[in-house]
Amino acid sequence: MAHAEHAVATPAILNEVKPAVLPRAVLVENNRSFSWITEKICGIIEGKTPAWWWVCFCIACLIACFTVGGITYLVSTGVGVWGHANPVNWAWDIVNFVFWIGIGHAGTLISAILCLLRQKWRTSINRAAEAMTIFAVVCAAIFPVFHVGRVWYAWYLFPIPNSNYIWQNFRSPLEWDVFAVSTYGTVSVLFWYVGLLPDLATLRDRFEAAGNKLRSFLYGLFAMGWRGSNRHWSNYEMAYLILAGISTPLVLSVHTIVSFDFAVSLLPGWHTTIFPPYFVAGAIFSGFGMVLTLMLPLRAIYKLEDLITQYHIDCMCKITLATGTIVGYAYAMEFFIAWYGANPYEGFTFINRAFGPYAWAYWIMISCNVITPQFFWFRKVRENTTMVWVLSIFVNVGMWFERFVIIVTSLARDFLPSSWGYYSPSVVEIFTFFGTFGVFSVLFLLFIRFLPIMPMAELKAVTPQADPHAGHDHH
Amino acid sequence: MAAQPYGLIATFDTVPDIYHAAEQVRDAGYRNWDCITPLPIHGLDKAMGVKRSIVPRISLAGGITGFCTGMSMIWWTGAYDYKLIVGGKPLFSPMFAFPISYELTILFTAFATIGGMFFLNGLPMHYHPVLKYKEIRRGMDDQMFIVIEARDPRFNLANTKALLAQAGGKNIKELEA
Amino acid sequence: MSTHAASVSTPLVAPASPASSANKALVIGAAGLALTAIGVVVSSDAHGVAMSYLVGVTYWTAITIGMLMLTLIHHIVDASWSVVIRRQWEHWLAAFKWLFVLFLPLLVFAWLKPGFVWPWMDLNHELHGHGTVGTDVLYQKKAGFLNLNMFTGMTLAFFGIWVWVSARLRKASFAQDADGDVKWTFMNRKTAAFGLPLGALTLTFAAIYWVKSLEYHWFSTMYGVWFFANCVRGALSISVLIMLWLWARGDYKGVLNTNHLYSAGQLVFAFTVFWAYVTFSQYFLIWNANVPEETFWYNLRELNHDGTTNQWKWVGMLILFGHFFVPFLYLLSYKHKVVHAKVRPIVIWILGIILVDMCYNILPVLKDEHGDSLPFLSVNLVWVLTSVAGVGGVCVWAYLRSFPSTKLIPIRDPRIGESLTHHE
Repeated sequence: MAHAEHAVATPAILNEVKPAVLPRAVLVENNRSFSWITEKICGIIEGKTPAWWWVCFCIACLIACFTVGGITYLVSTGVGVWGHANPVNWAWDIVNFVFWIGIGHAGTLISAILCLLRQKWRTSINRAAEAMTIFAVVCAAIFPVFHVGRVWYAWYLFPIPNSNYIWQNFRSPLEWDVFAVSTYGTVSVLFWYVGLLPDLATLRDRFEAAGNKLRSFLYGLFAMGWRGSNRHWSNYEMAYLILAGISTPLVLSVHTIVSFDFAVSLLPGWHTTIFPPYFVAGAIFSGFGMVLTLMLPLRAIYKLEDLITQYHIDCMCKITLATGTIVGYAYAMEFFIAWYGANPYEGFTFINRAFGPYAWAYWIMISCNVITPQFFWFRKVRENTTMVWVLSIFVNVGMWFERFVIIVTSLARDFLPSSWGYYSPSVVEIFTFFGTFGVFSVLFLLFIRFLPIMPMAELKAVTPQADPHAGHDHH
Repeated sequence: MAAQPYGLIATFDTVPDIYHAAEQVRDAGYRNWDCITPLPIHGLDKAMGVKRSIVPRISLAGGITGFCTGMSMIWWTGAYDYKLIVGGKPLFSPMFAFPISYELTILFTAFATIGGMFFLNGLPMHYHPVLKYKEIRRGMDDQMFIVIEARDPRFNLANTKALLAQAGGKNIKELEA
Repeated sequence: MSTHAASVSTPLVAPASPASSANKALVIGAAGLALTAIGVVVSSDAHGVAMSYLVGVTYWTAITIGMLMLTLIHHIVDASWSVVIRRQWEHWLAAFKWLFVLFLPLLVFAWLKPGFVWPWMDLNHELHGHGTVGTDVLYQKKAGFLNLNMFTGMTLAFFGIWVWVSARLRKASFAQDADGDVKWTFMNRKTAAFGLPLGALTLTFAAIYWVKSLEYHWFSTMYGVWFFANCVRGALSISVLIMLWLWARGDYKGVLNTNHLYSAGQLVFAFTVFWAYVTFSQYFLIWNANVPEETFWYNLRELNHDGTTNQWKWVGMLILFGHFFVPFLYLLSYKHKVVHAKVRPIVIWILGIILVDMCYNILPVLKDEHGDSLPFLSVNLVWVLTSVAGVGGVCVWAYLRSFPSTKLIPIRDPRIGESLTHHE
């Protein structure tokens, strides 16, 4: 992507004026070489499967069984096994769907938006974050697909000609969701795959050299014969940039459309114009919470401190802080406009959220989403990895409750007091949701076992020796 | 044909080395040649004289197709083929057709971009003379190579070899076709 | 354009004073303000002139807020390429105190003649079809927020915060020129950390008080975000114009390169998309839900009471295409972002269309006896233009007056080297 003429590293004039000195954080510590990066990342895949991996994998499989069991029971019995009933006909399934989709958004943010903003620190976390996106979409998709009850009719969601000669209702935000989420899943997989391409070629060649024909063949098959040609890199980089360019509006649109599910309705607490950017900020917030939750243990286990440095953690904490504060702005604005709009139903909904039967959920949401991230103002907190990890869990919890509060409180008490109710989940719902963490973990564990967890080619490109104008003294 | 090699390959150890060597090969007027690098090198396109990629045009075409597909699908299904009266909404409006058309714009742009990239790069190509070179493995790791193909009009085994050597290339080898 | 910054010499000294331009700007400003003042006196519809003046003041305040937000964002993300343009934003921030002075007439009128500008201030103001403001239950519910004391206090607070945050930013940046101490960078980061939340809240409530409350029945949680999008877009467009001007004048030779313009152009593009996203979402949610208490705001801007369309519908269309599609498609091209003659027209166009957007949000509150909005193409447009020229002249004068007081670029900023050698 370079078409600019390079100037000398420091304009001569600056030697005279002596600007303030404030070096930027290095992205790869200890001046690691290209081959060190290759060895480090490929080593994770090539080494023997560690014992902890098997332990985690077994536990994850066991947890995933809860989803399988819950869904099997649902399909064989009917949607009645979930706790929905009038007036709360949307409950955990939508909460969980929005929760998981939101988590996915940080992956796209890191791979796309930060790419456009030239935030080079993204390189060491983007592969894992994109993987997280894809697996989160898988978990999210479980809920809408199975909540239709007779899941074998799920294809009715798509405009495929059928014997009833009737088409989908394209005026429904749920139909928009179908398109948004399928596009999001597809583009995320493609983006991820394009990023993997050069690394798969590296693995292909390494397994061939090691004499492992089968794995060399499989990696080679997906590497498409990549050979590191610069004429290829030229198109590749452009394609990557465009994918980043379209993924940015995509990620915004997906959560925007998810927010439309609620905002186009007339229900107090749902119909408010700030929902689109507010949902997007919340999604990024929750996603970064999850990235921190996943990356910090990974960093410790695989000793990746040179690649995921304190600077990376700082950046992630600060984005969490910023998006958490934006979410706080949206909460405040909703509350204010509920009063300013002078609509009694709207006003009631918000008072009811904060002080009604679901007040416990509301205050969990506020403390986790608005107060928790404020700790990231302090350097001491950001430098304490354990503390950051614990706080990131709070963020995950808080964002689940945000969706719960929005969805359930508005439905449980709407216009007519005679039709008010209180919703509690059934054990089947709880199991199904609990199990998705297993599904997610199984997929993520497979990913870290078989694919490079960091983009090697991109990491090499942010090291100092990748600069064609650097001195020749770096060996 | 056995006598004719595919081309010459030379090894370079550092990014600045291959960058400057690429400038020399470009200035010598070669057309059919390439750099093999384990990472995208900033500025190497210019050093090689490679033009700005045309992938964006393919992407744009994909995007326009996607948008039109979305709009026309929603109009045709809901307002023409089977008029669906629901929700007090008009049979067709660009307003409610927008979200889906937008998603399809992005979906088709993504397909066009990736398809275009593979097409322009001539991939997949699982067999290539360069991949037969046993040291090329390092080209996916930490070394860089320049390959000058024999079909280049300026190719001359001795002169080209000399150019590569002069540009700082090491371990200059002939690649079998 | 060359990128060889090694030949830089201009930044070492303070740039030549653009005194004659400053004087010209002041003359234009004074003339515009004088004409507007005459308008208030001679016009048969003084209320319309006041509204037009509100458009002018809001427009330029929005742009200045945008400059403030850009500077704050620059510091909080430790940006590098924008260092060379940041100094110009800081100079522009000198306009805040003058904007406050220019806002004062509106405040004074609010006290002396309630309802002259904001109809809800006059409790006896007749609402079309249902009594007066004072007897309106919707007003009574909001009276704790919509009252003259709150309005005055908040407005004073907004300007106080903006002037104060700007002063801190200017002081730290200018001081660093002299001593090259890195502590100023840290001070700016701190300012940015608390300045951004403050900025977000103040601009939101400014938009609510000054603009949204004109039609106080209407509400939208998105409004602050919409205002923010316009603020930053306007500020970026002015920044591009300043870059081109300083290049043409010779100051930026050896400082600016193609990539700075490219980056600025990309931001203009990004905020074009962001504006469209926010505006579309607001319109779309209201359109789709179709609740009369919200849709009336858009209906006013589309239909007369007898169901015929009015001019504002076409203004809305102009905004849709001119504010989004035209700049969006135009700025897709790399060349249109970096070639001076190509980027200049589009940023001027954007500045013009933001003004139209402000008119669209403010002027339809002027109504005829049927409660229909007065048309866009009316004599009020003249007063909008005089107000924009008046307030704008003063802002440009304030900027130019501050301009020669320091070095052209923050030469001792720790990121200046990265900025001067900015590449794609």
